[in-house]
Amino acid sequence: MALAPSSLAGEEPTNESFFDQHVAPLLVTRCLECHGNTTPKAELNLTTAAGAIKGGESGTVIVPGKPNASYLWERISGDEMPPETPLTPEEKSILHRWIEGGAKWGQDPIDPFLHSGEKRAGYDWWSFQPLRRPDPPIVDDKEAQPLDAFIVDSLQKRGLQPSPRASRRTLVRRLYFALLGLPPTPEEINAFVNNPAPDAYERLADRLLDSPHYGERWARHWLDVARYGESMGFERDRIRPHAWPYRDWVIHAFNTNMPYDEFVRLQLAGDVLYPEDPLAVIASGFLVAAPWDEVGHTQQSQAMRNVVRQDELEDYVGTVAQTFLGLTANCARCHDHKFDPIYQHEYFQLAAALGGVRHGERRSAQGEETDARLAKARVPLTRQIAELEERLEMIDGRGKSRKNATRQRDLASIPPAPKPFALWEFNEDARDSEGDLHGTLHGGARIENGRLILDGKDSFMSTPTTSRTLAAKTLEVWVTLENVNQPGGGVMTIDLNSGKIFDAIVYGEREKRKWSAGSERNQRTKSFRGPREEKADGELVHVAIVYQDDYWVFAYVNGSSYGQPYQSKAVQTFSATYWRVLFGKRSGHPGKDRHFAGSIERAQLHERALSGEEISLAAGQALVTENELISALTLEERAERRNLLVEVSNLRTLHRMLTPRQVYAVVPKQPKPYHRLDRGNPKDPREIVAPGGIAVASATLANFDLKPDAPESERRKKLAEWITHPKNPLTARVIVNRIWHYHFGVGLVDTPNDFGFNGGQPTHPDLLDWLATEFMEQKWSIKWLHKTILTSATYCQSSVANRAARGIDADNRLLWRYPPRRLEAEVLRDSILRVSGALNPTVGGPSVRDFRTYLNNTQFYEPLDQQGYDFQRRSIYRLWARSGRNPLLDVFDCPDPSTTAPKRAVTTTPLQALSLLNDAFVLRVAGLFAARLEQTSTNDSERVQHSYRLAYGREPSETEIKRATAFISEHGLSAFCRVLFNTTEFLYID
Amino acid sequence: MIHSPNSFHYPPAGRRDFLSWIGNGLGSAALIHLLGRDGALRSAEVPGEASNPPPHHEPKARRAIHIFMCGGLSHVDSFDYKPELTKHHGKSLQTNERPDVFFGKVGLLHKNFWEFKPRGKSGLWVSELFPHTAEIADELTFIHSMAAETSNHTPATFQANSGFRLNGFPVLGSWLSFGMGSETDDLPAYIVLPDPRGLPAGGSINWTNGFLPARHQGVAFQTKGTPIHNLRPARKISAATDLASQELIAAMNRDHLQQRAGNDVLEARVRSYEMAARMQVAVPEVSDLESEPPEIAELYGLHEERTAETARQCLLARRLIERGVRFVQIFAGGAFGRPRNNWDSHENVVEGHGREAGRLDRPLAALVQDMKRRGLLDDTLLLCTSEFGRTPFSQSADDALGAGRDHSQYGFTVFLAGPGLKKGHAFGTTDDVGYKAVENPVTWYDFHATVLHLLGIDHKRLTFYHNGIQRRLTNVHGHVIDGVLA
Repeated sequence: MALAPSSLAGEEPTNESFFDQHVAPLLVTRCLECHGNTTPKAELNLTTAAGAIKGGESGTVIVPGKPNASYLWERISGDEMPPETPLTPEEKSILHRWIEGGAKWGQDPIDPFLHSGEKRAGYDWWSFQPLRRPDPPIVDDKEAQPLDAFIVDSLQKRGLQPSPRASRRTLVRRLYFALLGLPPTPEEINAFVNNPAPDAYERLADRLLDSPHYGERWARHWLDVARYGESMGFERDRIRPHAWPYRDWVIHAFNTNMPYDEFVRLQLAGDVLYPEDPLAVIASGFLVAAPWDEVGHTQQSQAMRNVVRQDELEDYVGTVAQTFLGLTANCARCHDHKFDPIYQHEYFQLAAALGGVRHGERRSAQGEETDARLAKARVPLTRQIAELEERLEMIDGRGKSRKNATRQRDLASIPPAPKPFALWEFNEDARDSEGDLHGTLHGGARIENGRLILDGKDSFMSTPTTSRTLAAKTLEVWVTLENVNQPGGGVMTIDLNSGKIFDAIVYGEREKRKWSAGSERNQRTKSFRGPREEKADGELVHVAIVYQDDYWVFAYVNGSSYGQPYQSKAVQTFSATYWRVLFGKRSGHPGKDRHFAGSIERAQLHERALSGEEISLAAGQALVTENELISALTLEERAERRNLLVEVSNLRTLHRMLTPRQVYAVVPKQPKPYHRLDRGNPKDPREIVAPGGIAVASATLANFDLKPDAPESERRKKLAEWITHPKNPLTARVIVNRIWHYHFGVGLVDTPNDFGFNGGQPTHPDLLDWLATEFMEQKWSIKWLHKTILTSATYCQSSVANRAARGIDADNRLLWRYPPRRLEAEVLRDSILRVSGALNPTVGGPSVRDFRTYLNNTQFYEPLDQQGYDFQRRSIYRLWARSGRNPLLDVFDCPDPSTTAPKRAVTTTPLQALSLLNDAFVLRVAGLFAARLEQTSTNDSERVQHSYRLAYGREPSETEIKRATAFISEHGLSAFCRVLFNTTEFLYID
Repeated sequence: MIHSPNSFHYPPAGRRDFLSWIGNGLGSAALIHLLGRDGALRSAEVPGEASNPPPHHEPKARRAIHIFMCGGLSHVDSFDYKPELTKHHGKSLQTNERPDVFFGKVGLLHKNFWEFKPRGKSGLWVSELFPHTAEIADELTFIHSMAAETSNHTPATFQANSGFRLNGFPVLGSWLSFGMGSETDDLPAYIVLPDPRGLPAGGSINWTNGFLPARHQGVAFQTKGTPIHNLRPARKISAATDLASQELIAAMNRDHLQQRAGNDVLEARVRSYEMAARMQVAVPEVSDLESEPPEIAELYGLHEERTAETARQCLLARRLIERGVRFVQIFAGGAFGRPRNNWDSHENVVEGHGREAGRLDRPLAALVQDMKRRGLLDDTLLLCTSEFGRTPFSQSADDALGAGRDHSQYGFTVFLAGPGLKKGHAFGTTDDVGYKAVENPVTWYDFHATVLHLLGIDHKRLTFYHNGIQRRLTNVHGHVIDGVLA
């Protein structure tokens, strides 16, 4: 507010326009903070003419025409007001002339958001200004791309120069981590370093952007912002078994380079925009990815339930506004925003727009017609998948026969038996040795010689009920048939409401002498088309049925696949009410076709889908584990197998999304008209508010033109329209900055979720706008944006520090070098697996549980180092339970999934050192790494060389080889691999 | 080059000497990074990382022990004496509206299940449920007028710890770690000692860092095996190999650093391994309760079945505090469920509270006596809280007198001990029967503001920017309770 007196020349202080142009801005920026609408200090409210004339506690403060008689002038001229920073002489002169001229008021009341001040942002705040496309500055460097021109220009203005280009070896590593979150293999490094093509780097970037692993890497960033978790949080923290499709959708969206505006639209309103598209329905999972207060929503008190619902709405409003607009609209729930030009009623407009959003499970597609259309769409995918699997089987066959020929088991690679949820050994009684599902015997059932004996007439065993959640599951029995030709019945059953719903292992019921999965009226089950049981009466058989989260049902007899697995209509979740386990009876009331005759020696129930590998182990069958299989393959075979696995699983991901299924997504409900709540208090409703946006982000679009009782679907469609409109000044700026943030560790604006007053100012405002406008021009293409950033000279700079530059810009905000980066928690874990050759590259699908759970009113999670190939997936595929965090990831700053995390902390702590030194996972995989190195050579110095190539992407020096081999000869190769995982060079990217 | 852990240059004991030690060392910049951001050492003694670092005023206390009684302690049976309740025993509560209780069953008023007596010089009333604590009543400060915002265990527990009923907000211990840092670099600043019978409602969310950096998360000591997760290798590794490995790591990290001179963060990594090695020595040392003299073991009841587990927690807390840990949190009361394992006595107060107090009373009193003897009570706060209280009426049919009590959010008791407090003092009151706070009601915001105040922190100035707001423990509320301050 430095108005030179000359600028006032010629304007009459007696005009209203003088007030609007000069006085009002002054009052807004310097006075209204205290003397505004809400609880004005000294009861003086200067927002309205009436308030100003009325005065405050000390009476009248303005006497029109007589500054010297005005108390206001007295306090101001005496530098008593404003209290901390008095007005400048120019400002004082404005007020003096205004009072002198009769204190004419203009716009009444003054809009307090008119101008930015020392304590708040107004309409003129930088981020609300319309986007424009600045021309890149002209700089010396002819090669400089537009992006670089902006950077170089600002560096030069501070007397700085960019750093030279980094070496190819550095660049390839940097690029792999940036786009895939995985280190390059030695072969990949060499291929790039030795590629003479001038566009080798650009082509590498293109190739990585096409990799399915790119989506996994960038989806993880998005899930941080989306506060994505797979459990309810709050009191009970139950698992959400059907939340993962949203994660797969985000991966898919990145991989297919979905235009960002569409990406936003689908997450806000996919289910109402395209109700027939299951992908669009899944996308709405964004809105409901947060914790949800189950207990709060069912408590007795209506008043308390209202508060819980209001808290839930704040989550929607806050997340949507922060994620897409960089606005902390949630701060305006109880009063006008203290720092940004957002009115309280605008908060409630947004709440009304999102007011029909409810958490829940729903089917991702409805109707027979849709089902048929999707089935048709899946046909070519199924064919492709089958072709690829055939090729996979060929490779696996080769590896298996080689491995079997050596007859040497690699004990280290055999996972231990999985820990069941419940286990009955029938040693002397029907106790559950893992939990509290102890059995009671009925009819003629008895326990003898360590077996549960069932007579096939009226005998069965039942357990008490439990309400623990069971969706994916494995039923496993060691059973003897009294008579292979018996009419059959249920061997082991999960039973809800006395047979209304059940899943069971059934023998010989519909099909003589065959095993099958039973369910009520065979709703979810059909024939496995397996062979007829040929075992002599009285022989022990191991039978297991596996129900996966993605609806596939598998059967195993004696550790080998039994018949054909099939995809069921659903996986039954047992949780809502109480369920129990039965043995010897299919379900319901005793009856002749439901009882099984024979004996059970042991039975196990698992709360997850075991892998074929685990089942075979449980059945005591010799087999080749995945890790063993891989080690029996040649390098070329391994690479091919890896590529096939990625390709086939990527197709399966799409196949799964095109299969109608239960998903955790928005289950909308038409809301009643919303009221503004005074002080945010549900007990104090005020005027009715129609759905709408925030005027400061494009006033015309923010008016949704909807009635307060508008249909739910219209609300979110309009919301999406407003946010993704090219005229919205925030949306493109916010996403461009977000992507920049992940590439450089700091955004051009260093608060990616807050472009308001409390957020940072852009270091390069013109560059931000140039990128944002070009980005929209390029059809909101995220991959375009990546490529523009990654191929810039700015990104390719060396990371070497430079003393002089540090003196001027220690934080490197001007980017005179590439900032060295530490691997994020997940990237660290994935890299440990990758360099050890142990990473399971499968894309997508139900989440992996790296914990066991127990229910004690609340769901508790106990972290486990789960072993075996199925657990060697990328970290994004772990089940992100809110209170079931992974301690290794946690300690490396993996954020709490309960709240949105636009930035991650990067800390260095002794607990990190202890984890990398001693964690079960790290030590185990160090063993796998050592085994891999042992295969490459019999010579320690060659092994060391190879380990450096894998872990660091470079050759070791002679001294390094000597030091390492001396260490290995005394302490072994896996101790050395443990050392590598602990080194800074492994954890940091230059 | 790291040699054996024993040959580390241990920092001298005093904080000032320690600072001069790191000031001269190669790793000073690194250490600043480890302990906080640049400028974190501005306040000479406490290297937290708040932008407006405490102390904001002369602190009374420097650290705290918090005992959290999970499940809801019945104040009317323990510390809040209500003669009128005895008088109205067997009658209905006279109110205009039906009490809003969790299970919706409002039975008849039930007198205290244990007899109350005035205790010590102060004459504070403590029931026979806590006979040992009764002996030290003169050291305690009671707040009888607490009021919570919910009567639902998990959100109530969250709020008692973090000020918010929702997930995702940092808890008191994390705020203290962030604001005050640690007085030791051998141990974490914030340590949690869970009840061996299971985690509180909401589990580890009760010691979350929320949006503060992960280093401020409470480190839960395991009740079995090594106290800290990953303190020792999860697989068998010989001591010689372990040591040689750490040496090689240090050598390789120094080489790496040398080629990238002047990078504070990389220096910090080198130092983090040295600190880890010291932690490997310090943690088993502090956890070795056998080294305590027999009279101390006796005082706490360390070798008696009923008290052994809680005695272990209390004694360990004292030892941690002595070694410079900022905040130790003891959970007294196990997981929810059946059989009941905490204070949540819906069915039978005599049985449930009898069991829990039997475990806690003696070790708690011992802790206060022990701390007093050692002078720790001069600079260490002791906080004893529960997420809410229990109803003065029984949880039964309207016209029946049951043996259990439901959750009661509108009035309950917490107590404190330590410097800066009025000793042997009771603040605030509930109504005649102990149902609602009537005089000087105290919210969790007020309670937290007061605790911070005693630790030299202005609750309005300990803030962290998160998504548009300078967040604080007390949200936008909270007043220091002058009435409890000495």
